[in-house]
Amino acid sequence: MSDRQSTDDLIRALAAAPAPAPFNPVVPAGAMFGLAAGGLAAFLVVFGLRPDLGAAWQDLGVQAKSLLPAVLCALALWLVLRASRPGTGLTLWPLALPLGAVLAMALLRLAGAEGALRAEVLGQTALACLTSITALSLVPLVAGILLLRRAASTRPVLTGALAGVAVSAGVASGYALHCTEDSPLFFGTWYGLAIGMVALVGAWLGHRFLRW
Amino acid sequence: MNLPFVYAPALGAVSLTVPGDCAPRAASARLAHLAKEDPVPQEEPWEVLLARANEGDGPAFARFLLAVTPTLRAVIRRRGVGLPPDQHEDVLQEVLLAIHLKRQTWRRGSPVRPWLYAVARYKVVDAFRRRGAFVTLPIEDFAEVLPEEAAAAPLSDRDAETMLGLIDARSARLVRAVALDGKTAAEAGKAVGMTAGAARVALHRAMRQLTVLAERMMK
Repeated sequence: MSDRQSTDDLIRALAAAPAPAPFNPVVPAGAMFGLAAGGLAAFLVVFGLRPDLGAAWQDLGVQAKSLLPAVLCALALWLVLRASRPGTGLTLWPLALPLGAVLAMALLRLAGAEGALRAEVLGQTALACLTSITALSLVPLVAGILLLRRAASTRPVLTGALAGVAVSAGVASGYALHCTEDSPLFFGTWYGLAIGMVALVGAWLGHRFLRW
Repeated sequence: MNLPFVYAPALGAVSLTVPGDCAPRAASARLAHLAKEDPVPQEEPWEVLLARANEGDGPAFARFLLAVTPTLRAVIRRRGVGLPPDQHEDVLQEVLLAIHLKRQTWRRGSPVRPWLYAVARYKVVDAFRRRGAFVTLPIEDFAEVLPEEAAAAPLSDRDAETMLGLIDARSARLVRAVALDGKTAAEAGKAVGMTAGAARVALHRAMRQLTVLAERMMK
């Protein structure tokens, strides 16, 4: 129950206060990208690229395994940067393009399948895939969210989730260079699950840290 | 003023059709000395004012806040049907503080209004949601039974002084006397010419204002 006089006083005090430091959205984006790339590089040095990478890269499915997450990462990162300023509309449908492409590949694979699908979905390295992608995502995600506190997202939960998608999709696209399981049923399932988990963590972090 | 101010006419009309809304002009008059330091005429686009404010031009920021305040009052009044009108000014102050803290997220060269309305909508919804959980009763009814506010939240002296600078001078004196110098509300009130009950009410409000400010500062 303040009065207008105290509003004038507040305006005077705010005008006398020093202007906040300039906000640059490239800082959180760069931090997320740099930390994710650094973690991936260390991972690939320790565990190595897949031995048959050169030959396998001829295959469209192998390219898609790296490129679709990379596209998803770029789109989500762009949306996070837009969301960091109030008053910019968010169009989410572009995110559906890489997801739709994976879904289409999986359905095509299913249509031409002849038994043993369960083994193909479960693969040999599902657990390694899940843990690697989530573990490599956590540090860049937390750093990105903390740096985004300087921003002013009017949809903090969505922004956190998008940051999670951006980081984990980027990590997945690099992890794909190590992973030898090329069925869209495998990477659609497990990469998707890992990205979804990191997105949930991001949404929670956003709810916790991005409100202002 | 040839920028596309799409939203301006509608909101301007709202603030004009509501009776008794001539006080903002009085507020501008009270703050006219802030504008006097600057030779630029009053009809500056908000974009120009905010751009200069973000470069550290304090008087420009004061003029910007004064210029947007009537619009914000209208927005709050329209949204604030469920809230007692005497709290609208509190919400307005929260919005003004948020504008200050987040003003660097406005991108230079883009229109101010979408940014401003997004900030205002976010803070107004937030403020109303928080207040909506309580039944609000005018605090004057409790003047005689209110306990004296014991002490300020733990803060460093420098923070306390900064925040006291943000509330009005008389409340700041009251808070200083009670919370920092350890006087009773009655003594502090006498020093500024208030009855004990009025001093307790003023203190209570000041403490609540300071709590909000402290939350903002810690973020």
